[in-house]
Amino acid sequence: MKKIVAFLLLFTFGLSSCEKDDICDPNTPTTPRLVISFYDNADATLPRKVVNLKVVGKDDKGNDLPTGIVFNESSTTDTKYYANGTSISIPLKTNQDSTTYSFIYNAASTDPTLTNTDVIKFDYTHKDVYVSRACGFKTVFTLNPFVTAPPSQPFTLNPGTDGAWMRVINVEQYNIESENETHIKIYF
Amino acid sequence: MRHTLKYTFSFCLLFSMFLVQAQETPATTTKEIVQEKPKLKSKTEPAKAAKPAIQETKTDSIPKTDRYGLRVGVDLYKLTRGFYDKDYKGVEFVGDFRLTKKYYLAAELGFEDKTTDDDRLNSTATGTYIKGGFDYNTYQNWLDMENLITIGLRGGFSSFSQQINTYKIYNPNPYFGEQPAIVSGEKYNGLTAGWLEVALGIKAKVFNNVFVGFGVQLKLLVMNNKPSGFDNLYIPGFNRTYDGNFGVGFNYTVSYFIPLYKKKVIVPETVKEIPKKK
Repeated sequence: MKKIVAFLLLFTFGLSSCEKDDICDPNTPTTPRLVISFYDNADATLPRKVVNLKVVGKDDKGNDLPTGIVFNESSTTDTKYYANGTSISIPLKTNQDSTTYSFIYNAASTDPTLTNTDVIKFDYTHKDVYVSRACGFKTVFTLNPFVTAPPSQPFTLNPGTDGAWMRVINVEQYNIESENETHIKIYF
Repeated sequence: MRHTLKYTFSFCLLFSMFLVQAQETPATTTKEIVQEKPKLKSKTEPAKAAKPAIQETKTDSIPKTDRYGLRVGVDLYKLTRGFYDKDYKGVEFVGDFRLTKKYYLAAELGFEDKTTDDDRLNSTATGTYIKGGFDYNTYQNWLDMENLITIGLRGGFSSFSQQINTYKIYNPNPYFGEQPAIVSGEKYNGLTAGWLEVALGIKAKVFNNVFVGFGVQLKLLVMNNKPSGFDNLYIPGFNRTYDGNFGVGFNYTVSYFIPLYKKKVIVPETVKEIPKKK
């Protein structure tokens, strides 16, 4: 009988430590971001680094948000908004079927002729998927297919008055379910 | 939710304290048994078939009668919880039938409607459940006392439905701002779950045939028919589910004993002989 009581006590303490499942583990794959990789237009197999690329989203009214996406968490100055790698991850709106971003190349330059802004509107459908008690649901996206009738495409590029710095945009993966793969390749 | 959990655990701990205290009285009685056992062997072994040995023991013990019957009751914890917890409605009927001196056939039948409010999910589980098994009374009663300290096993089965009321999207990169909770209303019907449980309980006769009891149950989920695209967060009868298969339960019962027949019991020896005859 004493053993049973000891077991019961142990069990109760053991269960109280199970309360952890109330907190969502940050390593759990939840709502994925859109992963864009950059490649050299001259040699399609060669990843190319972007230079001070700033990405600013537009709100529901089409106005630019006050801040860009933070790419360098460690930085405290404006440089935290600048991407200088071969790949970026950008979040999509979880409650709408399109998200518009301005991709500002060489955004750090003070000379306006050296910066180039391309605007891309991503069109997709989204679905909410159950993850766990602690994390709730996540949203997964599917980019719209290229179809002529009715007209649908996964993205719309608006190069603006300064022309396009992106040469080719390729959709690699229409289903955006994880961040471990490249969804879109941009050649420049 | 966290608060109710804390209360549940503190109840469990409190209850286990009771168990530790309550143990001390039977511990002394078990000692008595141990003392009796050698006597028993020495008396029965040399003359197993000899009747005078039994008669001898009959003379130095007080004859008593054990009452056998059906005990039916209700879980007051579940019943009263509906008054102060607007997210809970439930009732559980408990019953046991005395089979032998120590063994009781036990069953519980219940209904629960529970809304679970987690940080990111709000869901409601509604359904009925049935649990069946046996209790073993470890308490050595004196004279005509009829108290019980039981350890038992149950098998449980629940048939229920779940509804997602609201949910939140987990977005680790809320660049466009945190999205408010989404109202869903999605309902999953025809869910089932089965589990095993170890039940520890105390029942004390307060007056006449009325018993008051506490019980804790440790549960192990063995069958869980989950809906596709969701999880069973609360199973009526099993209670909240955890990452593993374990669960806990608690009840506070008031029951009434319906005596059906009586058996004369003289000493533990005769009781030990009864199963032999059977």
